[in-house]
Amino acid sequence: MLERHIQAVSAHDAGLEEPAATRERLKDRFPRGATRRMTQLGLLVGAALDDLAPDAADAIVYASGYAETRALEGYLESFPGASPTLFQTSIHPSAVQQAMIGRQLPVREFFPLTGSRHLPAHAVQAALLSPAARVLLCGGEERGTWLLAQRAASDRTFAFALALTERDAAAAGRIAMSAADPAAPAAAFTLPEFFDALRQRRNLDVVAAPGLRLEVQWR
Amino acid sequence: MPLPPAVRLAASDCLTALGDAGSTHAALLRGEVALQLRPVLGADGAEAVPLAVVPGRGYDETAPPNWLGPLQALAAPLAGGGWGTARRPVFVTSSNFGVGSLYAYRRHGDTAHLAYGTPHACVDWLAAALGWGPHVTTVSHACVSAHLGLLLASRVLQAGLAEAALVFSFDFISPFVAGGFHALKILNAGMPAPYADRPTGSIGLGDGAAYAVLTRDRGEFALEGQSLHNEMHHFTANRADGAGFAACLEPVRAAAAGRRVWLKGHGTGTLEAGRLESAALAAAFPGAPLVGWKGSLGHTLGSCGLVELALACVALRTGRVPGTVGASGPGFQPAVAFAEISARDTDGVICASNAFGGAHAAFLLGHA
Repeated sequence: MLERHIQAVSAHDAGLEEPAATRERLKDRFPRGATRRMTQLGLLVGAALDDLAPDAADAIVYASGYAETRALEGYLESFPGASPTLFQTSIHPSAVQQAMIGRQLPVREFFPLTGSRHLPAHAVQAALLSPAARVLLCGGEERGTWLLAQRAASDRTFAFALALTERDAAAAGRIAMSAADPAAPAAAFTLPEFFDALRQRRNLDVVAAPGLRLEVQWR
Repeated sequence: MPLPPAVRLAASDCLTALGDAGSTHAALLRGEVALQLRPVLGADGAEAVPLAVVPGRGYDETAPPNWLGPLQALAAPLAGGGWGTARRPVFVTSSNFGVGSLYAYRRHGDTAHLAYGTPHACVDWLAAALGWGPHVTTVSHACVSAHLGLLLASRVLQAGLAEAALVFSFDFISPFVAGGFHALKILNAGMPAPYADRPTGSIGLGDGAAYAVLTRDRGEFALEGQSLHNEMHHFTANRADGAGFAACLEPVRAAAAGRRVWLKGHGTGTLEAGRLESAALAAAFPGAPLVGWKGSLGHTLGSCGLVELALACVALRTGRVPGTVGASGPGFQPAVAFAEISARDTDGVICASNAFGGAHAAFLLGHA
């Protein structure tokens, strides 16, 4: 069994909030002028990470199924005169980089994962396999517009971050992963479902991917 | 942070515009350059830029993507291997997946392209086409994506969670991605003028796909000293003091202590990054010869780490290392080798890659 203790959790549910409103709401969380080119997801992931005071010794695992949807939409709309800014901003894992570049804070390990039905399970496994003393497991999505209409984008905007350590003192909870019967069917357990459980501090015990049982227990 | 123990490489191969690993290695030894000038927007035209496209594959997106056939041919030796099961998981890495399909949809309105446009839709489709089970983890970190897949797979193996792991990487260029790099003004539209003629240097892009089968104790080669570092300094520039390159290489240097190595650099053709990378490699591995192959193959983006690993395996196996094809001297460092070198008197190779955001990755590959 792989396990760590949850030292802190941050959850930002922006719902249907427009990017401009998110920018105005969170602008004081970032260096002056830094938010102008930040995406909505970058702002929210940045705020969630900021709540956990990231450190250069941390490892970061990041999960997003659709990533910078608005920048991607804008980049696609910019053709034939492709926008260089939107191109680089649209590249996964831009959201975390926006936040960490704003802080000028290097980290050794940064694992950006993507996927859908089993993304939380794979991200948790990556976090629990890290040798770093503290792992920041973060993720999120931003609501799309015309890509959403084609079911190629998230319909929600949210972000979260967890600080995971091996010490249990003063921990808020425990997260663990163990082997499940590989023949047992695994339900889809998506990033929005994981986010909702974290936000509500709801215990979890689910076969979150084939062969992978995910447990979260809050104190 | 401790270095992960070595894992074995039981099999590998790649696909480039010059063919599989054996064909690509042979072509590089002959000095062949796969890059050719093509309109950056494909059928929509625009300026010609250097692109290396797998022969027989159209550059413009189709639905389903026209790169499935070449990928199926690459993956044919893996068929029936039980991949995508609990004890034999798959780690798929890419920078672009099928995102070019979204460009095609936006340009032409054909909703058939949408089925391949998101990373998970693309990987689900690919997994079904290649006969993989559901144990598929997907990693995407631009041009160090493949290195992350290797490290994550290694950790799964070392934790005893799997008996073997398949790392599979692909990136096929399209107007979407070439248009973006062209907008950044770093594609060498002046080809065959040297890439170094422009003040910031310039690059070409290429199709690439590769796989590696990792195990704990079986295989011809050992992969060790896997290292990462993320500068988080600037989206498209490195720290001017080269500290990010040095920080990534330090654990690899420790792993390679006492061994004779040659160096496979990232070497895209951007001058500042090339200067910093070659200086850091020369400092960490004094006297070790340095080569790069993107001047022929183009930058194969998220697949480059795995494509170049497969080529390095052929070089170690044959003892013949292609030089820095598609470039000419003088190099930033005396160690830059433009002609073929011998690997017969070496113990292994350091392979390095870099990515947007000042991301660095490297490992030591040697005979087991």
